[in-house]
Amino acid sequence: MIRVDGGQGTVPGRVAQGAEGGKHREQSAPEASAGTVELRGVEAFYGTFRAVNNVSMDIHPRSVTALIGPSGCGKSTLLRSINRMHETLLGASVKGSIHLDGVDLYSSDLDPVRVRRVIGMVFQKPNPFPTMSIYENVAAGMRLLGRTPKSELDGVVETSLRRAALWDEVKDKLKQPGTSLSGGQQQRLCIARAVAVQPRVLLMDEPCSALDPVATLKIEELIRELAADYTIIIVTHNMQQASRVSNHTAFFAMDDSRAGYLVETGLTTEIFTAPKLPLTERYIAGRFG
Amino acid sequence: MTEASKSIRDELLKPDSGSVRRSRIDWIMRRVFEASAFLTVLPLFVVIMFVFVRALPWLNPAFFFNNPLDPEPGIFNAIIGSIQMSGLAMLITAPIGIAGGVYLSEFASSRVVSIGETLIDILLGVPSIVAGIFAYLLLVPVLGFSAWAGSLALAVLTLPIVMRTTQEVMRLVPVSIREASLALGIPVWRTTLLVTLRTAFPGVLTGLVLALSRALGETAPLIFTAKGTNALNFLEFGTTMNAMPLVIYRYAGAAEDQLVGQAWATALVLMAVALAMNVAVRWRTIDSRVA
Repeated sequence: MIRVDGGQGTVPGRVAQGAEGGKHREQSAPEASAGTVELRGVEAFYGTFRAVNNVSMDIHPRSVTALIGPSGCGKSTLLRSINRMHETLLGASVKGSIHLDGVDLYSSDLDPVRVRRVIGMVFQKPNPFPTMSIYENVAAGMRLLGRTPKSELDGVVETSLRRAALWDEVKDKLKQPGTSLSGGQQQRLCIARAVAVQPRVLLMDEPCSALDPVATLKIEELIRELAADYTIIIVTHNMQQASRVSNHTAFFAMDDSRAGYLVETGLTTEIFTAPKLPLTERYIAGRFG
Repeated sequence: MTEASKSIRDELLKPDSGSVRRSRIDWIMRRVFEASAFLTVLPLFVVIMFVFVRALPWLNPAFFFNNPLDPEPGIFNAIIGSIQMSGLAMLITAPIGIAGGVYLSEFASSRVVSIGETLIDILLGVPSIVAGIFAYLLLVPVLGFSAWAGSLALAVLTLPIVMRTTQEVMRLVPVSIREASLALGIPVWRTTLLVTLRTAFPGVLTGLVLALSRALGETAPLIFTAKGTNALNFLEFGTTMNAMPLVIYRYAGAAEDQLVGQAWATALVLMAVALAMNVAVRWRTIDSRVA
């Protein structure tokens, strides 16, 4: 069962392990199902406008699921509904159910803040905190929530930066502002910041679309590594990226009411070589979108 | 060469009879704009030069460190008084103004925001003499002719400045910064205080400095409240206190040359302080933008 306690109670020992190289798995083997996201009948609204229509699917743990489809199909809206960011917009709402390992994320006695501790997010345009240094950015999630002793913070920062494949490039300049890095580095900084609070699920909303091809490849490699420890859901416009990076793919399209709906899901290899529905095939073949 | 390309060539290269006139008008308009800019700035320089020349003979250590009743009179009690009353006014205004600005920017519904902004605009437009009369009628009966009343009157005048600048700089913080914080699982109020406000802080500081500038220069509210005095008043807020604008007001029409001269000198000091604060704020803003 996943611990929905904001990740505050995790064992310091796990952090110390990471500091030695960053690629170690946790000692305690988590359950195979830990990190399963179930969507049933999910609809998302901006006021009265329905942007996402009746989406039901399972997201598998320890893998990368790509949400693909033309612009405006509600993929990002759906993504933001999973970590309850959608409702932070004025007038926005979500119907249906989203469960993480059996816990109803929208239940009235669950604080959305805790949901967001367990489900992290990386945005399309890198958004490091401008007033903070690289170190402070990575530590922000821990610091802004309470008094974590500095010794522990140092370990978390290093582990997270290693996890994001950024440590070697910034270890000598941790005090520099986060915004002094290049675009690709900033995005990796945001990934480090997100994993520092030890989420179980990582949502990535077109994380490479603002980056150059070299940075993009680095981040794709990083995503494949991270999939060993997290459930990753990535929205992408780039079909080739989806086929490079993901294990499962979900294809969305727009219906007549301009709401996005789920057309087909499956293993990435199957979707891209033998899709079941003609609409999917037309999209994969580049005939629209 | 085809007909079509020939006509394009003609359009580009044919000598234009109006072009000489156009460039002359252009030159004239440029000179008009330059003259306007110059005329706008001219009074400022005239005032600075005027004050500087009149004030210079009266600037000496005694002026700064002696009190009005000393054998060699000075305005020390006014300097200290200005600092105390403006300082207290800022201590009152800063938390309320910042909180109000944050509320209007982050939490208020659009209806409350438009009502709030209108109210702030009205407060901003209140002439300082009206604030002075307001203080006289409402605060003096309760607090007497005192530095408490004076500071409160100054606080009322500076509050809308702090609120307005705080609201505007908070609005300028991109949504992506707030979202980054929320997505980490940081609650809204912590996000607002520790991330959004922190990002907007240089702007908030500018607002505070502008408010302080105003507080230091206001005369009318103090005439009716703190009144001014010749005695040195340190931390005795319950009684009258002197201030630099009050010195200018009282000495400007005096018969003795020395008093008039000291009025000019005080004016110069006030201008220098305002200039210094503005420059300091600009430096800091430029620094943080470059970083």
